Amino acid sequence: MRNIMTIAAREFTAYFISPMAYVAMFFFLGVCGLIFVLSTSAPGASKADMTGMFHSMVFLTLLMAPVITMGLLAQETNSGTYELLMTKPLRDLEVVMGKWLGAAGLFVVILLISLEFPLIYEAFGTPDWGMVLSGYIGIFLTGLAFIAVGVFSSSLTSNQIAAWLMGTFMLLFFWLVGWLQYGSTNWLGTLAKSLSVYENFGDFERGIVDAKNILYFISLGVFFLFLTVRSLENRRTV
Amino acid sequence: MIEVQGLTKYYGPHPAIMDVSFQVNAGEVVAFLGPNGAGKTTCMRILTGYMPATSGTAKIAGYDIHTESLEARRHIGYLPEHASLYRDMRVVQYLRYAGKLQGMTATQLRDRLDMVMERCGLTERSNQIIGTLSRGYRQRVGIAQALLHDPEVLILDEPTIGLDPNQIREMRSLIRSLAGDHTVMLSTHILPEAQMTCERVIIINQGRLVAEDTTAGLTSSTKGAELLMFRVAQDDSSIPRTLRETLSRVKAVRPITGDRGAYQVEAEVGSNLGPEVARVVVEKGWGLTELRPIEVTLEEAFHQLTTQEEGVN
Repeated sequence: MRNIMTIAAREFTAYFISPMAYVAMFFFLGVCGLIFVLSTSAPGASKADMTGMFHSMVFLTLLMAPVITMGLLAQETNSGTYELLMTKPLRDLEVVMGKWLGAAGLFVVILLISLEFPLIYEAFGTPDWGMVLSGYIGIFLTGLAFIAVGVFSSSLTSNQIAAWLMGTFMLLFFWLVGWLQYGSTNWLGTLAKSLSVYENFGDFERGIVDAKNILYFISLGVFFLFLTVRSLENRRTV
Repeated sequence: MIEVQGLTKYYGPHPAIMDVSFQVNAGEVVAFLGPNGAGKTTCMRILTGYMPATSGTAKIAGYDIHTESLEARRHIGYLPEHASLYRDMRVVQYLRYAGKLQGMTATQLRDRLDMVMERCGLTERSNQIIGTLSRGYRQRVGIAQALLHDPEVLILDEPTIGLDPNQIREMRSLIRSLAGDHTVMLSTHILPEAQMTCERVIIINQGRLVAEDTTAGLTSSTKGAELLMFRVAQDDSSIPRTLRETLSRVKAVRPITGDRGAYQVEAEVGSNLGPEVARVVVEKGWGLTELRPIEVTLEEAFHQLTTQEEGVN
């Protein structure tokens, strides 16, 4: 655990030394802010409702997660620091968890800043805090799972751009796979629906916290962290 | 302290090292010598647990590097070939990070950090960002992180590469000062370096171990003969024959090519032929101008060993 925290702390700090943390914040919060302004100033908009915001936030998370994770392992491989890291007395799992936790830390900081939007609603209206909470739980779980996918793609290559692209494509698959349900009504459609990030996030957006959806995001994250550990093990043998 | 038994590593069908076995005792400083691409780095990467061997075993401080990898890695300080470090961190910040990953407690870090930085000449640079350091200083940070947790075994891959002559001298004296307290294995392709810093040399070529001896033993055993060089003022083509006939212990006399009047005399080890050669040359009236023993340098021994091996393959 100590090793995981040591690595996580380094990665978290490194984000703020490099422009990465600020670029990610600017992108995520900037676009959120724009959508917030547009949705509240639209004619007829009178409800302090975060549903639309959450909808955009989850897609922004999809775009942002591979960006903040792309360097985690790819950069280490490319610069050669990977060799020193892997010859320290660390388990592969500790390295993977540390990297993941470091990126998750940055994501949580960004989410905390985004609480300004419901707070502005609170100042001028009466938002449903139950729904806000459920939405944030959803975004939080989605982000952690997406970061696990990103860490995995970063472990596959020494090229950050390739890691970013692979991460984005993998996440887009989990986003779009739900559309298959409209084409097929058999088991394939059901499977596609249950694999879809979009479908599983929907309930959180509507204020429903369902164990089934929580389990989905946790499974997605654990599965990709497991794949990352295997990917690191595999690298040793090449 | 380091025990290597039949280590073999294949990259696909290509063998990087073949059946390498050797031992390094506690407190010894041993050089791992070989031309570029001989398999030095591969061997060191296996020893540090970075990758597994195809077959064979290696033990560090009694722990098998494959089955007890974590325990073995705790006893190693490793400087990889290019000493790649996180360029965005400060020296002291990085060393703290490396120490923590080695399992050092806050107290241990406090005790060792200043001492190690002092020893590696980093005290004044402790707050500098690693990316802005010169090559030599980065190498020192690499050494410092390897030394920090006071490991029993130090594995240094080309520790002096990319340093200027002064830094090389400092690095060598630092390595020499580690002998006794630490078991040091360093790789190099620079022969005088092995001669200067190490008691023992392991020579590897094309993935195979070709020689293992003390630096002194290696230079004498490779030739198996004593060599003498002399120069005369009156060159005569009969000189080699006359010398061989007069002195029975002389095995061969060869003119040194491209150097008129100079000859090389080869005799059995310990024959101490100098005075006799001098006497004969003077008696014959050839006009002796120079006479000295030829010492086989490690360089020649190395060249001989590595090229011989090439001929066999």
